[in-house]
This record gives sequence, C-alpha cells and structure tokens, in this order.
Amino acid sequence: MSFGAQFLRVPDLFPGRPAGEDWGDRAVTLSIAGGPCLVSGLSAVQERDLRERFGGLCRDGGEAAVSLRVFRAPAGDFREIDTRGWEYTLDLDPSPGGLRVAGMRLMARLDWPAGASRLAGALWTCEAAGEEWTSVCENTLRVLTAYRLLELGGAMIHSAGISGEGEGYLLLGPSGAGKTTASRLCLEEGATVLSDDLNALVREGDGVRMVKLPFTGDLGDRAGAPATVPLRALLRLAKGPERLRPLSRAEALAGLVAAAPFVNRDPWRREALLDALQPLAAAVPAWELTFPRGARLWSILKAIPR
Amino acid sequence: MNAITPAAVLRRCPDVRYRRIEGEAVVLRQSTAEVLVLNEVGASVLDLADGERSVGDWIEALAGEYAADRETLARDILDFAAELAEAGVLEPLE
Repeated sequence: MSFGAQFLRVPDLFPGRPAGEDWGDRAVTLSIAGGPCLVSGLSAVQERDLRERFGGLCRDGGEAAVSLRVFRAPAGDFREIDTRGWEYTLDLDPSPGGLRVAGMRLMARLDWPAGASRLAGALWTCEAAGEEWTSVCENTLRVLTAYRLLELGGAMIHSAGISGEGEGYLLLGPSGAGKTTASRLCLEEGATVLSDDLNALVREGDGVRMVKLPFTGDLGDRAGAPATVPLRALLRLAKGPERLRPLSRAEALAGLVAAAPFVNRDPWRREALLDALQPLAAAVPAWELTFPRGARLWSILKAIPR
Repeated sequence: MNAITPAAVLRRCPDVRYRRIEGEAVVLRQSTAEVLVLNEVGASVLDLADGERSVGDWIEALAGEYAADRETLARDILDFAAELAEAGVLEPLE
C-alpha cells in the first residue's frame, strides 16, 4: 500500500510544505526532552486542552528548540477507519530532508530546512478539541521527539523507566515482555515509574541520563514536572526462570535499536541511530532479566552488580 | 535458494547495515526493521561478504584465525552463509 493510502482519501494531496490555515493564534511551549517545543497555530480551545493534557510541562514564552505548527484540514481528507482489533501504526515516508507522517485524522511533516538551526514540524488535522485533538497532537509529538532526540545524539526508547534513590533503570522488551508488569511491581516497593511506554536517553559526559517523557501507557505521570536521573543499567526483559545474565555491548545495542520507534524504520538515519546508540550502550551495564510473578523487582534491580 | 557452495560469491544485501562491537556484530535490516546480533565468526563472515571473494575465500581467510578443524570450519561457514542468505542478510551475486 502506498504512503498515506490507509489514512487519507487522496494521498497525492499531502501538503508539500508547512503551510495552510491556522486554527488560531494561540500557542503552548512544552518542556519535553529535546525541547522546549513550541506548538502554535492553535485555537483557544486547543490551547486549553493541551494545557490540561500536559499540565506542569507547559510554560509560556521563552526560546523553543523545536516547533510544531498546527493547521486545519477538512474531515473529508481522512478515511474512516474501523479500529476494532486493529493495531495503530503511523505511516511514515522518510527522505533525506524530512519525514512525512500519515495517521488517523493527521498529516504531519518534519523538515530540516537547509541552514536552519532547528527541526520544524507541521501538523494538519480536522480535530478541533478534546481527547481526539490531544491524541493527534501527542502522536505527532512522539515522532517529533524521536527525531529531535536523535538530532541531539540521544534517543527515544520504547521502554519502562524506573527510578529511585537517585538512579534509573531502563527496562526493554517488545510488547508483552512484561514492562508494565515490572513497572507495577516496582511501584509496589516504592520506586517511581517515569513511563511504562517511552523514555528518553541522553548522553551526559561519560554517562547516560534517562529523561521522563509525557508519553505513557498505563503507568507514569503524563503531565508532571520534568524528571531526569542518571541511568544505572539497561535491562532486557525475557520470560523464563528467574535469571540475571549480563548482555554483551552488541546485545545491548541491538536491544536499543530495536526499541527506538520511528527512527529505526528510517533508512536515511540508520547510521545516525547507530552512532547515537552505540556510545549509550557502551556507557552503562546491560543485563537480561527474567523474574517470577510477584517478584520484589525493585529490590532485585537495586542489587544488580555495578 | 540453491545450496551454498565454496564457489559462491555472496554480498551483503543493500538494506543491511552493521557495526562491529567487541568482536560481535549488530546487524540492522532496514527493510524489516529487524536487528540481529552475530557472534565473532558471523561478524567476520559479514566483513568478508564484499561481493568479490567467494565463500571458499572466506574459509581460507578464517582458517588462519581459528584453530578449528578445517573440514568442520568449512561446513560451519557454508551452513552459516546459507542461514544469512535465508535471513536476507546476504545475497548471491547475479
């Protein structure tokens, strides 16, 4: 199926540049890893709903490192989709100078304008308000954040981020590996869950920091203040008898690459992705962890050899 | 695919990228977003799969590096090459 055909009635009319009719003249600046991100072109209702959704991450004014301009699109541009039993995956069309994105009631593009100092995003949607609007915006911000972090030599990782006592642990694994279960077990012992879905990794000197993202599954604080901790270990979750096995650096890198959504499907940025993740994988110890039902998992994490 | 023979010339598929790390290799297949980890022998095979040297040449090169019995090494390399071809990491030169 060609790009956009699943979501758009006329994919050939996908916007060729970041232009169109604004919803309004309102804006919100979000303190997201890789940002701040300026979301502009909003109506008053859209601004209100974004502020409610992102809470303590919203601020007014100040310099933004990345931008997302929002434009109107007619509802007729988008196909009606029966989502029963369907796993939603955005349709991506990468190119050397940018990325096109198609999804449910959204068209977006990321551009790296020649000579420009920052990544620029544009979103076209028919959603005017409510959770439908904030979901469309969040889906676009997930992609924007992944690419922005890569620009900075970091990465957005599909993972559970657990923190406590000043340190963090990143739990990797495909859907069903146990990230949310592991997160719940750690919560029960008093640890903090940054997110059970997406977390950011950034280099800091010789180490790595894990940064909370407002993109969560069932657990994590979607709208709280930014949080960051030094990363103590990577854990690849697996099913089986209780075991802790050290991973080689190659295995750790492979786990991170597989868990870097959006950018790991972009052939124009795969070298950049490997360049970013290789030092991250080398900077912290990595393990494969299997744990039994009801395990005191936070205690297990804290006891991992340094 | 026909069985791989020592005369076969294979190369890395165009969508494959890999990095050597401490002897192993992390292989990224772009077309499937699949990520593999190869051990040291597999990583060496990837290095040698340049589309110019035959599988027999690989065996000669690796025989000098490993102490394994030559016949065993040859069989292992042929089997491994077939696996990588089946996995879409290597392809025969047309």
